[in-house]
Amino acid sequence: MIETTPTRVLLVDDEPALREPLADYLVRQGFVVTQAGTAAEARSRLVEGQGEHRPDIALLDIMMPGEDGLSLCRHLVEARRLPVIFITARGEATDRIVGLEIGADDYVVKPFDPRELVARIRSVLRRAARQPAEPNDAVVYHFEGWSLDPLKRRLTDPEGAGVAISSAEFRLLMAFLDHPRQVLDRDRLLDMVQGREAHLFDRAIDNQISRLRRKIEADSRNPQLVQTVWGGGYMLAAEVRKLPATD
Amino acid sequence: MASLSYRIRRLPVWPRSLQGQMLLALALALMVAQGISSGLMWRAQHERHLNGMVNALAFRLLGQPAQDGPPDGPPTEARDRRPPPDDGFRLPRRLRLRVERDFAPVPTDHRRHDAEGALHEVLEAQGLPAAQVVVVERALIADPELTDWVARKRAQQAAGDPRRVIVAALRQNDGGWLVARVVVPADEGRILASILLQTLFTYVVLVGATALIVRRIARPLKALTRRVDAFAADRSLDGQLAPQGPEDVQLLIEAHNAMEQRIVSLLDEKDVMLGAIGHDLKTPLAALRVRIEAVDDDAERARMAATIEDITRSLDDILSLARVGRPTDPVESTQLSALVADVVGEYEDMGEDVDLADTERLVLPLRPTWLRRALRNLVSNALRYGARARVSLRRDGRHAVLRVEDDGPGIPEDAIARMMEPFTRLEASRNSATGGAGLGLALARAIAEQHGGNLTLANRRQDGTIVGLTAELRLPLS
Repeated sequence: MIETTPTRVLLVDDEPALREPLADYLVRQGFVVTQAGTAAEARSRLVEGQGEHRPDIALLDIMMPGEDGLSLCRHLVEARRLPVIFITARGEATDRIVGLEIGADDYVVKPFDPRELVARIRSVLRRAARQPAEPNDAVVYHFEGWSLDPLKRRLTDPEGAGVAISSAEFRLLMAFLDHPRQVLDRDRLLDMVQGREAHLFDRAIDNQISRLRRKIEADSRNPQLVQTVWGGGYMLAAEVRKLPATD
Repeated sequence: MASLSYRIRRLPVWPRSLQGQMLLALALALMVAQGISSGLMWRAQHERHLNGMVNALAFRLLGQPAQDGPPDGPPTEARDRRPPPDDGFRLPRRLRLRVERDFAPVPTDHRRHDAEGALHEVLEAQGLPAAQVVVVERALIADPELTDWVARKRAQQAAGDPRRVIVAALRQNDGGWLVARVVVPADEGRILASILLQTLFTYVVLVGATALIVRRIARPLKALTRRVDAFAADRSLDGQLAPQGPEDVQLLIEAHNAMEQRIVSLLDEKDVMLGAIGHDLKTPLAALRVRIEAVDDDAERARMAATIEDITRSLDDILSLARVGRPTDPVESTQLSALVADVVGEYEDMGEDVDLADTERLVLPLRPTWLRRALRNLVSNALRYGARARVSLRRDGRHAVLRVEDDGPGIPEDAIARMMEPFTRLEASRNSATGGAGLGLALARAIAEQHGGNLTLANRRQDGTIVGLTAELRLPLS
């Protein structure tokens, strides 16, 4: 365990058949779990659990009778600055976007591998520790005619056509966009992009770089945007502007 | 009958639309009706003309003393009496009835046998029998006796004078001729032309008015056709037609709107039902997935997880197949080439043998999530049955052609069509060793069709033996 004090998890799901075994599993993994069957119950648990019993992260089911997970999520993110991971039965893009837009940090689709859920909890907490309580405003990155909408994960080329990118390429590109014109060596890149898809990075980062170049460079053999820096590193050679999302 | 109607339909002018056919039928009917009516009009005109002519001639022959010989100065009474100023139609008295030694027809004369008979009868009834009656019609300038009068009256427009003179000559017992002349307004050809002109004018006005009415009837039908097409494409209630046109068509549009409503509510119910099924099945599956972590035997646990994954994938395929016709995802302009490369990359990451041939950079409007799914299904199939997959993307005219080839055993020709039906797999036993519920191809085809394209499967042969299967997904570029 990395944590010195156990992580407190608030688990909100209306189905005891899923909630209880999941709570057991998380406890076995070393978490302290508070369960709630409804949004109302979750709110009262939060009031009880002030101070040192305050949860570190919430796992929310989206579809619940009464107040749904989305509304509870808004409350948790805005009023309590609590990281949130959604548990959803539907994996459709619109659900995912709505969840992420109102401030959730991540999501898993039922049925999920519980180990993956644990990995994501740790990843979200790590990110939350690195950049505390930054409101999740909808911004779009613009560079050299390209644009990247992080919430929708939509990369658009200068002619306005969507370009499919994998999660690994997305995180790599985000790392570059957050540090334009800075040399990022392989270890730094690996550290920044190593998130929930850590297994994807078993392969060398150079491989991911060359895939990303195939998608965004006019000529991937003579890259202009993502440049290789002598001494082992990469740099995004472009001006990056962050603009509010228009839609 | 069939061949006749076939031949009619092959005529280049035969209209295909309801509007055209109705208009043609009405125009033909009008033409017949007007033809008959103008025929009758012509006949009546002709009779009246003839009767008037005969009466005028008879009146001349019976009522007035004839002028004898060539005119030797006008009579004193006539000189005192001024003729009416507009007396264009009337001949001078001395020309109206004359006695001539000899009557010789001019070569341009038009002999009026019909008038001769009628005149003969009238004269006989009035007690003026004649040995021979000759009636001719000639132009004013063609009459040798009228030359002076014509020259005096209207020298300048004589040639164009439409009036005709009717000359009736009665052979007297003494061998001389009693000749009567009547000027008539115009020749009958001109009357005919005026009747035809009137008819044509009426015809054009009527057909024009009919065309407007027929258009009004046919327009809502055309709008309804467009609406049915639009509804078939997007199945949304936006843009429903307001009832318009004749009552029957209004009722049809109302009935169609009601049907659209029913279809949409059926689809809504289906979506709600499927959502409920998905939710209700996925939650216990998720619970099961968590519980199997308690199993100590790693191999056993992995098998259980794989089974749950299989169930989940089948469930997703079923839900997708049911939803694909009514997508909520928007159409986005997308680089298909990048999407293909991305999907191939996923398989490479999993260590699968997927080969990406050269791809052209193609941009087209599509639903990326769905297309990704179709491509995944095709690649998974190729890997399952053929061990390796080759993916290529090229442009063929107005289509993007996406090919997935494997080196597997192919499909018997008679089973190819069946392969794209839901729940079909090649092996008769539904053993799940090869995985899936047999929905992959059905879903890929439904997605292709949702994008206006199609999916075809074909065996690849070399020297007559099957060396693999090619799945080809064609999508329209715009």
